Amino acid sequence: MTDVLLKADAIFRRFGGVVALKGVDLVQYRGETVGMIGPNGSGKTTFVNVISGHLRPNSGTVAFEGRSFAGRKPFQIAQAGLTRTYQAVRVFGELTVRENVATALVDATDPATPDQVAELADWLRIGHRQESPAGSLTLMEQRQVELLMRLVQRPRLMMLDEPVGGLSSAEVRTMIALLAELKTRCTIFVIEHTMKVIRELADKVVVLMAGEKLAEGSPAEILADQRVIDRYLGSADA
Amino acid sequence: MSNANLIILLSTVSTGLILGAVFSLVAVGVTIVYGSIWMPNAANGQFFVLAALVGWTMTVSWGIHPAIAALLVIGTSVPFSYALEWALIKRFYDVPNRNISYFVLSLGITQILTGVFTLTYGRWADQFQLPPLVTGITFIGPFPMANNRLAVLAIAILILIGLFALLRFHRYGRGLRAVFQNRDAAALRGVNVKASYRLSFALGNAVIFAGGMLFALAYSFDLTAAWTMSITAFAIMIIGGPGSVLGALIVGMVFGFTQAAVSAVASPTIAAFAYLGAMLLILLFKPSGLFAR
Amino acid sequence: MTGSFKTGGSASWATALGPLAAFAVIAVALPFAFAGNRYLAFVIGVTMIHVTWTSGMNLLYGYTGLMPLMFAGIAGISAYTVVDLTAAGWSFWAALPVGAFAASVAGAILGLPSLRLKGFYFTLCSLVIQTVITLGFVYFAGLTNGDTGISQIALPTLPGGVSLVGTPYDLVLSIAAVASVAILIAIVRSSLGRRLIAIREDDELAGMLGINVTGYKVAAFFIGSMFAGIGGALYAPYIGFISPRSFDVLISMNIWLMVAFGGRGTIWGPVVGAALLAPLAFLLQDYYMVKDIVYGLLIIAVIALMPGGIASGLTVSRKVSASVARLNAEQRKLK
Repeated sequence: MTDVLLKADAIFRRFGGVVALKGVDLVQYRGETVGMIGPNGSGKTTFVNVISGHLRPNSGTVAFEGRSFAGRKPFQIAQAGLTRTYQAVRVFGELTVRENVATALVDATDPATPDQVAELADWLRIGHRQESPAGSLTLMEQRQVELLMRLVQRPRLMMLDEPVGGLSSAEVRTMIALLAELKTRCTIFVIEHTMKVIRELADKVVVLMAGEKLAEGSPAEILADQRVIDRYLGSADA
Repeated sequence: MSNANLIILLSTVSTGLILGAVFSLVAVGVTIVYGSIWMPNAANGQFFVLAALVGWTMTVSWGIHPAIAALLVIGTSVPFSYALEWALIKRFYDVPNRNISYFVLSLGITQILTGVFTLTYGRWADQFQLPPLVTGITFIGPFPMANNRLAVLAIAILILIGLFALLRFHRYGRGLRAVFQNRDAAALRGVNVKASYRLSFALGNAVIFAGGMLFALAYSFDLTAAWTMSITAFAIMIIGGPGSVLGALIVGMVFGFTQAAVSAVASPTIAAFAYLGAMLLILLFKPSGLFAR
Repeated sequence: MTGSFKTGGSASWATALGPLAAFAVIAVALPFAFAGNRYLAFVIGVTMIHVTWTSGMNLLYGYTGLMPLMFAGIAGISAYTVVDLTAAGWSFWAALPVGAFAASVAGAILGLPSLRLKGFYFTLCSLVIQTVITLGFVYFAGLTNGDTGISQIALPTLPGGVSLVGTPYDLVLSIAAVASVAILIAIVRSSLGRRLIAIREDDELAGMLGINVTGYKVAAFFIGSMFAGIGGALYAPYIGFISPRSFDVLISMNIWLMVAFGGRGTIWGPVVGAALLAPLAFLLQDYYMVKDIVYGLLIIAVIALMPGGIASGLTVSRKVSASVARLNAEQRKLK
């Protein structure tokens, strides 16, 4: 667990007059599941956008497996082994599930073999839908397709932006179980705005508030942290 | 400065002012429509020439006084706009990325009108000249300025001021601007969004028609003015900032002067290259335009 | 339900090659079938050139999702290059690759800066570039003879000194058309095709999956422009006259229309579109104002009939777009 996978230092990002990220630091070790929580607008998605290359930070550095990501485009970062999902599920709606997966394989640096793809599809229980257009699937099925597309690329870090958004309670349970298994195959970074999902999965929790890191620790520490309770968790939640 | 040079200078300035005012009118019209219903109208030059040609028919063939013809032309633009809106424009109001659908649609309209013009007016004359609004000449220093052109300039500027005031101060104008900024928020505040779409489409086109009629009253023209005007108007809108009326006004005046100045020393083609180049630069490096909100 | 997830190619080769073989047979037979009727054979020849053009436009619009309105201008760059070279004594067959290559390079360079632009802005930029090219054709009359056009165009010569004219020329055009479609099929079925389709569908997601979006758009431009250039080079001696009007924005629009009309995102749709619209344009040539009106109406019809607007094309399955819309609505409610 001493192998540093992701190191973000003092990430600043401003949009016009609004500062979305005010000097956020983060270290994630290989195999360590990190959860990021915070209210809507606290900068969580902006953080993922910066790490994955969609946005340039105004200042600060990002290093993945010891190599700097400065100036890299999103496709280069993806090829380096870091991938992310989107808050609003995003697949190629007009293409079949199989075509979606084939697209994910086409420029992957370390793609899964056809047998491994089949195994992943079965494990995610989405194999039977391979000929359906991805846009005609239910939300849960689309999230499964999203995960499959990432997994066949065999990334070393997966950043998941609100993976249970919009799912029913039963589906949330299924997704949590999936992610619990998923984290054994690939290091994951999960963003959510409640502790519900994160407390079960995360080794380390980072609380983001108005672009700043409010607290960081194990789920138990965070749930007991008075500052966090006062300013964010309150009585509801968890 | 010698008298000859002074005359050239004043001539260039007066042409620059009139062209600038006309360009601004058309660009403002295009901007109003783009800013409100997200429709880039590539056919604006065709509408411009349509107004001029109808004005020509009214004044030359039917003998109507130019001032009355001008009012008629601008007036008939309203039912024309409403008809077009009803038939084609309104079906796209809720389509995502409708700006590109509208753009191609307007290219289709451009092609139709090009054919119609060539088939009709193109057979009857190469150049079109309207009778003047008022006759006579006023001297500005040594420079003889046709009263007709002075009148056109005055009217164009008045319309521009009126438009500016309408959009900034009047209730309808404020409603239009609210819809410019944020359609859903405007709807929540009680603005009838669909009606304001119709209104802005009609207003934008009326302004373009006014520009065409005024231009025709000041200068003779031919059918190639259509495509030239379309490109110019788009260049102005893009450089000024899509949706920015102030940008259209300012950049329009600059273009008018540039066109006049460059035509005086070089060819109009060079001017065309110049502002196409400027438009490309803005598109590539600052697509939100110079006066973006 | 195990191990059955296929990652290999899509439909079998038979379904792709069947229609191609049929088209090849028809295309090669037509010049001989109409050898007696020069007028109709000529119309067919012009249509074949348009099939070559629509294959390039299809690659760019149907499969990559870009609407490049400078396509005709690029064809013109090749045409003028070839005409100038043959007038200077070059063999047509040596000039053809030079012209096509000039077109490809021009297309890639002209396309490059605009690749960052989305949707309407890209199309507008391409329109401006097309206008600049047309202005250039008029202005640099030393190379192009300006608006007057060039009418003494040397015919290509075959080994033995015989000029390529009539049925043999028709045949060359047919072969070029078949080759164009074949190449397009090969590209679409390859991994390049997969990347281009992904770019068309959602270029941000494609980039996120590791696809070099900008690089592949340039590649698409290069290849598509080559189709434009080959068509342009074959067009000039066949028609016998070129002018800036032959390669202006209305021509780009018309080629686009053939692709959109025939069905975007399919191989044969645009071929059908070309087969329907190219003869129409030719037959209306003497009445070109009527042609403008008809084409303008067709453009409007095509746009009006696309349910989701241009971005979705004519081949969208309503069920999918309805499901997508439903899902988007669900997600918005939950925010």
